[in-house]
Amino acid sequence: MRHETKKICRIVDELTTLFLREDTNEVDFKIKKEQDRTLIQITDYETHLSDEEIAHLKETLNAQRQYEIEEYYWQLAGETDDEAELTLVGAMIDAATVEKRAGNLYIELVRLNVR
Amino acid sequence: MIFKQKVTELDLHKEQKLAVLGVFPVVFLFFGIFQVIMAKESLGYGLLKIASSPTILITDFFEVGGVGASFINAAVIGFFNLYLLKRFKLRINGLLIAAFMTVLGFSFFGKNFLNILPLYLGGYFYALYQKIPMKNVILVIMFSTALAPLVSEIAFSGVFPVQYSYVMGASIGILIGFIIVPLSSHMIRFHDGFNLYNIGFASGIIGTVFTSVLRSFKMDIGPENILYLKHNTSLYILLGVLFLYLIIIGFWINAHALKEYAQILKYRGRTITDFTQLVGYGLTFFNMGVMGILSLGIVMLFKGILNGPVIAGIFTIVGFSAFGKHPKNCFPIVLGVLIAGYLIGMDLSSTGFIISVLFSTTIAPIAGTYGLGIGIIAGMLHLALVTNIGVIHGGINLYNNGFSGGLVAGFLVPIVDAFRKGD
Repeated sequence: MRHETKKICRIVDELTTLFLREDTNEVDFKIKKEQDRTLIQITDYETHLSDEEIAHLKETLNAQRQYEIEEYYWQLAGETDDEAELTLVGAMIDAATVEKRAGNLYIELVRLNVR
Repeated sequence: MIFKQKVTELDLHKEQKLAVLGVFPVVFLFFGIFQVIMAKESLGYGLLKIASSPTILITDFFEVGGVGASFINAAVIGFFNLYLLKRFKLRINGLLIAAFMTVLGFSFFGKNFLNILPLYLGGYFYALYQKIPMKNVILVIMFSTALAPLVSEIAFSGVFPVQYSYVMGASIGILIGFIIVPLSSHMIRFHDGFNLYNIGFASGIIGTVFTSVLRSFKMDIGPENILYLKHNTSLYILLGVLFLYLIIIGFWINAHALKEYAQILKYRGRTITDFTQLVGYGLTFFNMGVMGILSLGIVMLFKGILNGPVIAGIFTIVGFSAFGKHPKNCFPIVLGVLIAGYLIGMDLSSTGFIISVLFSTTIAPIAGTYGLGIGIIAGMLHLALVTNIGVIHGGINLYNNGFSGGLVAGFLVPIVDAFRKGD
């Protein structure tokens, strides 16, 4: 079984843990499954992350989809509340936009379906 | 949040990274040929002996087939895996470097070109069945060759008639290759990534199940102890030169590697800590070289013999120095193993103890996360477990320390957590 739905949930779990632990008390998630991809939209309200941290976040999430890492480690995403698995999230998605507007952090993750 | 460091380094393309790794099998091939000529070894006989031995833990190929044949076996396996990395156009990340080095190291004790192939085939069938590309599973399959001795044991231990034995062994290998991907992914939750040799833990569970089934059919599977016990200076020189080569490559890619080396020590090392992504390839290769030299130093310090299992231990450390290990998080674990070994009166120069020291660094993330004290306790616990659990799977899991490391991490981390306060 490919566990596609569960993998999406794991990504959300990891990022929920990260933002609630390190940044904010209010966060919205919207997940949209399309025919060939899944979109995960996140709004992290009143972010305290610095511009440098946001730039790092953007870079890490856009590292490159790495299917072999995903297949081996996806169950690790969202598992602990002690340390972020951003590298893993970056390996599980194809593209990410990260923008800070009016004090809020807006993130959109794109995960293409396995061809 | 722990992010990547800003480093300035030479931008290598994929072929160049593969070429850096490709030097290892090339050197092994020439060294193997040199050894065969100088020691007047019979190459064909040596390779045949390696291919047809049951390869159960610990079967040192130096002793079974000779030093030259062992290096040629390692070179062939190295070329095969490099070909796969190139064929599937994989990004050469820290984990792939770790997988390549681990497979290369274990080609000196346990893995040969005949017993690893069925596992790759099993992985191929899994990918076909799940309709996913083979490149998604190739990494797990590379690591899964930890269970290659099961193929050899069934094929060459004389349980089945000769005409069926390899087919039987290969069939089990294919089955393991098929099931290892979901199993290894599932098992990681037990230790939350604190055990770097995760496949060793998964293989320990699989090995325990298969060995128990085979034993219930009155098939006797038990650990071996075939070791090469000669001091061979040329092996020290060879490994020293190879690790120096990694340090030089590190400098070539990142001229400030020495100055920036402290950056790598900040990372805890818990899975996923991919140094190629976090600190770049220059510092990663530099760290691999440093860790190789330090490992070699430990073997020399305790007057150990550089044989197949010890070389496997060193290469696994070097490989995982691209994926989580560095001197700071390995030191407390190694210290713990040394203290425990001294207290229980083990022979500190024996191969069994030396490989426990080297492979114990599988739980380096525990020390990286919880510090010196817990790291030492983890190392001591590791030695207690690793010297006792081999009998459970009968030695068919080559990554016995990965099995032990998983148990130590799964046991210790929640206990440490119980004493921590806060949200």
